Amino acid sequence: MRTPLNSVAVKRRSKSKSYRSSYRSGIGAASRLSFTPGLTSRRLNTSRKAPKSYKIAEKVTKEQLTLLVKTEWTLSYVTPLYRFRHTQLKSYSRQLSLFIAAEKQQGLAVDVEGTQNTFRVSFSLVQGMTESVDDAVTVLIQIHSKPLFARQDKPLRQVWSGWLTCINGNPEYLRSLPTDFICLPLFCSSEAGGLTSLVKSWFQQSFDCCFSPLEISQTSLQWLMALWTNCQPESSIRQLKMIWTLPAEPQLQVTYTVNAEEAWELWSSVRKESTAGEGEENSIDIEEVMSFTQGLKGHFIRHFRLDLSAGSLKEVSTALGSAKHSGRIKFSNSKYMITTLMLLTECALLKMPI
Amino acid sequence: MAAQLNLSGPPDSDLSSLTDQSVSSRPSNRSLRVAEKERRKNKAEDPSVLALKYFADVEAGTPLAGNDEVERNLVLVEKVAYRNGLSPEAISIMLEFAMSLRMGHGLCPRVLKCLIPVTVVPQEAVVRAVAWLTVGKIPVSTQVLFIKWVLTVFDMIDAKDQLRAIYGFIFSFVSEENLCPFICHLLYLLTTKHIGKSHMFTPEKSGRQPFLLNLLSLYKVFCPELVTLSIPSRSKSVFKNHNMPWKSALIAVQKRNGSQVASSISLASASKDRTNRRKRKHHHLELPVLSSVVNKEPQTETSRRLVPLVQIQSVAELLENMDHIELPAQMGSLLGSSLALQYLDCVQDESALLRLNFWLGYALHEELLFCGDGGASQNSEESLQFLDKLLSTQHFLQEGFSSSEAFLYKFLNVWDGSLLRPQILGLLSNIPVVPSSQMGRLLFEPLMQLFFTSCVFFKCGVIECLNNMLLKWLTWHSVYTLEDDLDISLNSHTSINMTLSGFRDSVKELVDFVGRLASIGLQLEGCHSLLLNFILDFYTMVCDTFLKYGLPLVVMPPPGVFYPALFATDPVSVDRLAFIMYRYKVNLTSAKSQEKLSEQAFHISRQTFREFNNYTVYMVNCLWNSKMFQPGMGVQLGEELLLKSNVPQYWKSFDLVHHPAFMSYAVDFHQKVSVGRLGVPLSFH
Repeated sequence: MRTPLNSVAVKRRSKSKSYRSSYRSGIGAASRLSFTPGLTSRRLNTSRKAPKSYKIAEKVTKEQLTLLVKTEWTLSYVTPLYRFRHTQLKSYSRQLSLFIAAEKQQGLAVDVEGTQNTFRVSFSLVQGMTESVDDAVTVLIQIHSKPLFARQDKPLRQVWSGWLTCINGNPEYLRSLPTDFICLPLFCSSEAGGLTSLVKSWFQQSFDCCFSPLEISQTSLQWLMALWTNCQPESSIRQLKMIWTLPAEPQLQVTYTVNAEEAWELWSSVRKESTAGEGEENSIDIEEVMSFTQGLKGHFIRHFRLDLSAGSLKEVSTALGSAKHSGRIKFSNSKYMITTLMLLTECALLKMPI
Repeated sequence: MAAQLNLSGPPDSDLSSLTDQSVSSRPSNRSLRVAEKERRKNKAEDPSVLALKYFADVEAGTPLAGNDEVERNLVLVEKVAYRNGLSPEAISIMLEFAMSLRMGHGLCPRVLKCLIPVTVVPQEAVVRAVAWLTVGKIPVSTQVLFIKWVLTVFDMIDAKDQLRAIYGFIFSFVSEENLCPFICHLLYLLTTKHIGKSHMFTPEKSGRQPFLLNLLSLYKVFCPELVTLSIPSRSKSVFKNHNMPWKSALIAVQKRNGSQVASSISLASASKDRTNRRKRKHHHLELPVLSSVVNKEPQTETSRRLVPLVQIQSVAELLENMDHIELPAQMGSLLGSSLALQYLDCVQDESALLRLNFWLGYALHEELLFCGDGGASQNSEESLQFLDKLLSTQHFLQEGFSSSEAFLYKFLNVWDGSLLRPQILGLLSNIPVVPSSQMGRLLFEPLMQLFFTSCVFFKCGVIECLNNMLLKWLTWHSVYTLEDDLDISLNSHTSINMTLSGFRDSVKELVDFVGRLASIGLQLEGCHSLLLNFILDFYTMVCDTFLKYGLPLVVMPPPGVFYPALFATDPVSVDRLAFIMYRYKVNLTSAKSQEKLSEQAFHISRQTFREFNNYTVYMVNCLWNSKMFQPGMGVQLGEELLLKSNVPQYWKSFDLVHHPAFMSYAVDFHQKVSVGRLGVPLSFH
């Protein structure tokens, strides 16, 4: 199964002859101010490949990987960046550090060259973190701070990091964008000292894009549960932990932990017989995910006489990672990071206004 | 720089009223000046003129202490100044006298304080005075007072070119700590895009004084790549007014002279006052600030210099630079300025429009769709203003944005039909033509649900909105067919390939949909006459699609609209229906004659003609022939049933004489006729 066809933002053939007048006409969906709007709405994939372990460690440098893995990230979605160039990261580093200095010092104009700045920004590429040819290369941003009176040889302290990524983004959507736009819809940041909002506003002003928090929906959390549990035979998830909240007065929070083996057993029991041929990849269906959750809920009812369906899933965690409804994610195992990021990229693309 | 635009001051329109005074306005042409001299000669004895002469001629080094002459003359000048203001010449003389310190600096502040111009301040005088500043004997407080005076009368200075020429000279005073704030203000007023670049300084020690920031923010407008600066847009500070010593006197003098000189009393700074905004959690709806791009693309052709939009100040400049304007860093900022909107109307860059659409779509989605906590209702004031702004923009551009269209398709499914109703319906009426295959799902289904579950006023709103939508589609069509000779296959590789027949299908689909809504709506609301009125509005346009908009399509109203209108109890509805039927007839006959003329012209189905004929026959039978229930007509009732109703001569009930809609006319007529005739009783059948 594939994503329902989306015809969003399909680039129109430009008509050199009386370009403007034909635009003007507004006949068809071709008003001059318009791109063809989303006449069909995008939906979350109802089926996805079973996670396979990626040897990401071979491609991504160790430092970058440890940074990506050890941190809990706050998620945002970003509309496509206008005229972002992967080749100009150096200049961006300088501009952003100036911008931060200016903002931090409440509006001091900063000389362009040779100023001692307490914030050092570095943009870098994370090579090897792409899944399809249409994905733009992931960009990592790190901000180091140098205390004013620090010794010369003292290493800089990292105060903020964040990255923009796109893993296996919907190719139709990505290809429909004009070449001036780079789509890196998922922004992960580790919050510290209000720098996130500064970085965001710099991006907004420099690349005419918009940021907004990305929550992880119920369905996505359930997907993550299933995807992670599916990895159990290859890499132990140790335990499947869920946090549910129930609308009682006062609010009831349920922490529900399932032994890894048992979770795997339940998961195997809901898995349909794989009809795919030997060469094809194993895929997981939304029905299986739903029955897995249903099974977990049923088990809970039997023991505690409490139906979790009334409540909502707030948090999921395993040894492979953790995800919160509020839009926080942590990848604990780099091998399965790509799978998770594919799901998150999809969620971010769903939020795109056009 | 807005303040500079209205500078030049009024030409001396009030000369005559000043002739009897010692001071006079500076005439703008030579002959007037000659006349002025003549008059001056005649009045040579005027004491205040003599006083001025004294100050002009007084020797340097004349002692001040115990000098009664100075005191007497200065009092005279002050009297004139505070009562009528000083003429340009008088200003020159007094300013020169004060700044040259010919009699020391004791009198300086006093003289400066009485420099109340009646019309304009000669630029030369100011330039000379600035030159005196460097002589270095003037106390700082007096220097400050002088700059404050310049700022106060800035708009009254007759020209600024020489002042701009000594920009660098004035700039050198920035380093003087006490003068700095005022000098910054002056520079701010003097800066144009040609100045400034050479004066970018490195204010490492300058701190965060608002006056410096203001000046720098202006520099940033002109040279964004040289100044990295952040001023929180909301707290854009404004230069203080330094006009205290002169304010009341200036106002008094201007009032007395009835002059309209735009004084700098109203001048604070060119930076716009931002309306106080309530603090809010989200800022989706805030328009970005118009600013130029920092990351310039390497310009290949050096000859073609791009002018950032933010530097454009007037329509004339816009037109002049039309073909080499640099778009702002954030396209959303265009919506904030009317001048930028003018330009947006000409933007053809797809990427630019896409950027705008991304931003707009983002704002709409975040504000009205993604806010889980019902944020929209809390912030409805902001939402309302935002949508109004969007509507007026679309109105101005005469087009809808695709992002607002895409947003509406989603929003209609969750809309309660009351939140921001006028705005949402307004936006909806702006959407471009939808392919007929998509209309049902995107538009009709959600609208139908809302329509049937809402009050009559909402129903009227929906009909009106669809009416406007159709009007826009038809207008686009008529403009388009004129321009592009019917070649309307626009999209080669999208699912939407709109041809003329495709467009006609869409229009037909829309008209049919409104027909369905109208029939059922009238039934639900008991033929509410307001609703009927809106529906008839719609058909007034539909009946004329062929002749007025050149669209070969004629769609008759459904019986559910025709009969309620015919049997309506208000004369207006029946009258409008008759007019609509008349226009249908004109359109159909003209279509038919064209069909005969050219072979390949469109073909209107026989069904349409049949419907029209049926309606007409029924209408005539009913109104004129008093034959309401003929076999084979649209409305049929069993004979027995009609007899049972005990209505006498039921077939006449809706003829012109007896139609309830015209009852009031009948009564009126009867009354008029019976005037003067006694004993004719009023009787009804």
